[in-house]
Amino acid sequence: MLLREVEYARPASVRDAVRLLSEHDGARALAGGQTLINVMKSRAASPDVLVDLQDLAELKAIDLAADGTLTVGSMVTYTELVESVEARARPILGDVCATIADVQVRNRGTIGGNVCSNDPTNHLPPLMVALGATMTIVGTDGERDVPAEDFFIGVYMTAAGAGELVTKIVIPAGKGDGFAAVTIGKDGTCIVSAAASLDGGAPRIAIGCVDAVPVRVEVSSTAADAVREAVRAANLDPPGDVHASSGYRRHLAEVLAARAVEQAEQRRN
Amino acid sequence: MTETVAPPQPKVVEPGQPQKGWAGQNVPRKEDKRLVQGEGVFFDDIKRHEMGYVHFVRSPYAHARIKSVDVSKALDVPGVYGTLTGDEVAILTDPFFELSVPPGAHMKDYALAVGKARFAGEPVAAVVASSRELARDASELVEVEYEPLEPLVDARVAQEGDAPILHDEAGSNVVWDGTFDWGDYDAAAAEADHVVKIKELHFDRFSSTPLECSGCLIEYNKGTGQWTMYCNHQMPGVGAIWMAPALRVGLDKLRFVTQDIGGAFGNKICLHPYFVACCLLARKLNRAVQWTEWRTDQHTANAHGNERWFQDIEVPVKADGTMLGFKVRATDDCGAFPRYEPLGCIIWAQVTPGCYRWRNIRVDFTQVTTNKSPVSPNRGYSRMQHLWLTERIIDIVASELGLDPVEVRKRNYVKHDEFPYETPNGCIYDSGDYARCLDIALELIDYPSIEQKRRDAESRGRLLGVGIGSTLDSGTNNFGQSMILNPDLQFSGNNEVATVKLDIFGEIVVTLGTVPQGQGHETTASQVVADILGCSPDDINVRPGHDSYWNSHAGFSGTYASQFAVTGLGAVKGAADMLAGEMKKLASVVLGCSADDIELAEGQARMKANPEAALPFMALGAILNANNAGLPEDLGVTLNCRYVYRPPFEKPDLERKYGNLTLTYATQIHAAVVEVDPDTGVYEIVDYAAVDDCGKRIHPQIVEGQVHGATAQALGAATHETFPYDADGNLLTPNFYDYHVPHALDMPPMKNGFIESESPFTPLGAKGMGEGGGAGIHAICAALQDALRARGKPVVTDSCNPYHRVWALLQEPEASRAGVEVVSR
Amino acid sequence: MEAGTAEVVRSKTVSVTVNGTTYEREVDARRLLIHFLRDDLDLTGSHVGCDTGNCGACSVILDGTLIKSCMMLAVQADGATIETVEGLAEGEELTELQKSFSAHHALQCGYCTPGMLMSATALLRSNAHPTEAEIRKAIQGNICRCTGYVNIVEAIKSVGETS
Ligand SMILES: Cc1cc2nc3c(=O)[nH]c(=O)nc-3n(C[C@H](O)[C@H](O)[C@H](O)COP(=O)(O)OP(=O)(O)OC[C@H]3O[C@@H](n4cnc5c(N)ncnc54)[C@H](O)[C@@H]3O)c2cc1C
Ligand code: FES
Ligand code: FES
Repeated sequence: MLLREVEYARPASVRDAVRLLSEHDGARALAGGQTLINVMKSRAASPDVLVDLQDLAELKAIDLAADGTLTVGSMVTYTELVESVEARARPILGDVCATIADVQVRNRGTIGGNVCSNDPTNHLPPLMVALGATMTIVGTDGERDVPAEDFFIGVYMTAAGAGELVTKIVIPAGKGDGFAAVTIGKDGTCIVSAAASLDGGAPRIAIGCVDAVPVRVEVSSTAADAVREAVRAANLDPPGDVHASSGYRRHLAEVLAARAVEQAEQRRN
Repeated sequence: MTETVAPPQPKVVEPGQPQKGWAGQNVPRKEDKRLVQGEGVFFDDIKRHEMGYVHFVRSPYAHARIKSVDVSKALDVPGVYGTLTGDEVAILTDPFFELSVPPGAHMKDYALAVGKARFAGEPVAAVVASSRELARDASELVEVEYEPLEPLVDARVAQEGDAPILHDEAGSNVVWDGTFDWGDYDAAAAEADHVVKIKELHFDRFSSTPLECSGCLIEYNKGTGQWTMYCNHQMPGVGAIWMAPALRVGLDKLRFVTQDIGGAFGNKICLHPYFVACCLLARKLNRAVQWTEWRTDQHTANAHGNERWFQDIEVPVKADGTMLGFKVRATDDCGAFPRYEPLGCIIWAQVTPGCYRWRNIRVDFTQVTTNKSPVSPNRGYSRMQHLWLTERIIDIVASELGLDPVEVRKRNYVKHDEFPYETPNGCIYDSGDYARCLDIALELIDYPSIEQKRRDAESRGRLLGVGIGSTLDSGTNNFGQSMILNPDLQFSGNNEVATVKLDIFGEIVVTLGTVPQGQGHETTASQVVADILGCSPDDINVRPGHDSYWNSHAGFSGTYASQFAVTGLGAVKGAADMLAGEMKKLASVVLGCSADDIELAEGQARMKANPEAALPFMALGAILNANNAGLPEDLGVTLNCRYVYRPPFEKPDLERKYGNLTLTYATQIHAAVVEVDPDTGVYEIVDYAAVDDCGKRIHPQIVEGQVHGATAQALGAATHETFPYDADGNLLTPNFYDYHVPHALDMPPMKNGFIESESPFTPLGAKGMGEGGGAGIHAICAALQDALRARGKPVVTDSCNPYHRVWALLQEPEASRAGVEVVSR
Repeated sequence: MEAGTAEVVRSKTVSVTVNGTTYEREVDARRLLIHFLRDDLDLTGSHVGCDTGNCGACSVILDGTLIKSCMMLAVQADGATIETVEGLAEGEELTELQKSFSAHHALQCGYCTPGMLMSATALLRSNAHPTEAEIRKAIQGNICRCTGYVNIVEAIKSVGETS
């Protein structure tokens, strides 16, 4: 509780938000606040200016294109995703979002905030990598698209740099997806998570909580043994902590990757 | 008068049997109306004009010498009212008194760290400012120079020659040590067919983490020199005994006031260091000050439950499965300061043989300090750790000798016709029927179907296991047990107070000495009074909370240690009986008859023979209080009755460490079914039953609520809740992310059963309850061990088993088995 | 589109409508909504049980949505309509849910109760007849340390069954 002093602005346009973010050193976007406010409470980090994105209607749209491509505004909340008819086009999205924390967090937390905070235990970074999503980043220099694989750079660090905003996330069509996690209690924080998608041909697997960023694992077959072997071959060196030793995480990565692929196969058929 | 003669056969009431009167019924709780509207008053809801907010500067080091503290920069901030440092505390106060004999007696404990910090999070200085945020800002400007020292985080090495010493004055990390030796262990070992040896078991640190953290609003009255503390201290009687001498004032200078408290579970007993710091600040600044503890502070620096290591356990067993006792070396880790300790070094002895007829028990008990948060009597205090040992013993022995866990329990349980049962150390188990409770629990989980379910689970790739936890909830302490630890302590027996008065307009007003935190005391007290005065609980006004300025306060007043139904309601009953007698007497004078001719019914005092001749309570109240001319001089009626309930206790025999340590023994027997995913170590509790026997239930719903809550806390402690430290002495679970308590989705469906074996020793036949004995922890450990049996028969050696521990057991069952050995004749 | 430029402020006068009453107060940007409600508006029914957004004791309904008021700044709530536990009952008349909590002994210390009631109220508005599983999911963000949730679930279920 008890945040450091901070300044606050509530822009009405993306453009103004970008201006505010780039004009002020130490400015940060405030999306759902479900990570950022906590960070500020513990005073682990203290932004100087908060740029509240809540009024930016342009960031709240969910669009489904004719080819099944889904475009989700960064300020779309988990609850909105879960309830969205359009988002059912890629069912795994809503299904995973429905297991993040609890109603209150889902009502405020946003897809943009989830990927931008890139907490290694967050659900969405590995999922976005597995689904082959693309983030659109806007800065004073204009707009660029970054594939999820390149978006996550380090713990709490992404390709969206200072002064930049993620405006939307584009997710290609598909349904052969899976997600498996071992969490601390039901709907709890991930100890290890794995997401898989079979729609792009060979399985795309991404594993969370085993490194600073989601780890992609290449495999040509969906057979459980092959998947486990591929994860083993990735020579993961996960961190150990109070919830899991490095070895336990490595083991869970194998099991969960295989389960995610298995689920993806079931959903595809 | 309390009868202490036991009936030959305790009365057992069947479920569903009708009960007479208000006691025994689920009347609506008086507390609820305000609480469901957000109109409860918790300490943090209270404000005072221009009050200051206190923020503590806390040590980042687990062990460090404090070289200097400079508050000048903090004092320069506009809006900062003042500060307090350890040096000031050392001048203005005396160290809190210690309960132990040396070495513990020499440990010095102050409101703020003096000279040295002994755990990460220990308050080193305090800042008061005009807002909460500002107080924290300014606290960051306090400059403390530390010289880090090597921390001690493992109690097992606390006595080794090169271990860092926390309290130089004591010259040792040992608080207290002693041997308890009852029966003849060596003879039992010689007589046994097998001796089962277990190298080491570990009971984890955890705490019940009440949802409301601690705190106070303290006002100092300069004119009278008195402090008023609006707070959530759960044991003001003892709190004042700590605080007053430290502050160098008499007890009457300290007024504790509580209304609603957001749970306490023992975690709000050792608040005196914080409160003394706030008292000093209120006096120094001549301003009301408020301290609100935040969750991270609560986890790092308030109170944990006692962590305990059990080593070199030996259990002599006869061929038929009869166990003759055990011996063990116990090392208790009390964290940086003893505070309520070393009482935990004796409290376990209330349940020395657990539920079993074990007669030969030898315990070498040592308590040490470590650079971790201090402990405090967490729900199930000290007995839970010990009962976990007894249950682990049962299940490990059963598993090693191929005995059935149900049969072996029943063979060793104290039998229902043996009550009152005297344990080898002189405790009297008042009543119960453990085997019945177990049968009910097994029925609730459909025990006969377990083997079928086990096969079903197997077919789904899951390992199913079933486990039992049998526990006693000993209640109403004989504080004389403290003399076993320190013969110089002048504590024995127990007491609690209530007053009941009839006021001018006929109001019946009850004040309690207890400090409720959700146990519904206002409600149950009103039920007891209503039965005695012949009116409805709605007519009874029980003052919410506690105020040590009320005349209902005694040395042991408080809400702790499973005793309200005995001591609290015993006092209420006593006071209500007195008032009833006075009302009859007054009525008899007015109506011109004998007091024996009067009955109290329907809100009136009336003649039994002629109910028309009646005085409403209002008339009695008005006559005595406001219209009393002409009443006989020797009437002796005040209509304001105070009763002190004192349970029948003797001082223990200190030489033999022998005597009755608690008055009542409620039983809880639980059964759990778990399913383990062998690929991940993840498990789920798929079925759960809790059977309770606490004698007469005054308010069955409240009793069931306590069973649910104690079970949830035990399941949390069994699965995720633990306070581990790293090698530097940093707590690894300082918040509710990492310290995962059960949420609604985590709780298994719960089945409940009960019987009522009335206590022959208590005023109402009720027994204290509410703490539970941690049955859920024991049951889950047993169920996990059962589930994993097929995978190399690992032994569950820790009380808390998060997934990673289960996975480790699956990976290396031999590692856990290495500590277990059976020596057979 | 030029939507103007927003100001950067360290404190701000906010206007919020809580339980039907509109309040205007100057508040620091850094102040959490829960502290604003409790300390500035003296609406102490909503509680604080953690400092990490885990416990839900501070839950309120903001513009129709259930949120944790410790996970939001007061300035963010400018212009919002907020419902807290104090606003549930109509005068002396408790809501069915409040009555049911009492009847089922769904509260012991009552500290989690305000937040729990807000979560349950939000649930029943969107789903009048929830199943046990739906109820547990809906109160997952509210920690209770006293009751083990057994009677809370029963209390909510019974309102759903009788409505
Ligand atoms: C009790 C609790 C439990 C949780 N459990 C989980 C869990 O199990 N799994 C999980 O995935 N998450 C969990 N979360 C985190 C939650 O999902 C957060 O909502 C999420 O991590 C951040 O999203 P937000 O919208 O709240 O972002 P904020 O907290 O507002 O922002 C997070 C970071 O992202 C930046 N940011 C936000 N939006 C943008 C943008 N559009 N462009 C550029 N930068 C931006 C911010 O500046 C900030 O640095 C939990 C949170 C809580 C309180
Ligand atoms: S106080 Fe808001 S979630 Fe705990
Ligand atoms: S009733 Fe005490 S926390 Fe829920």
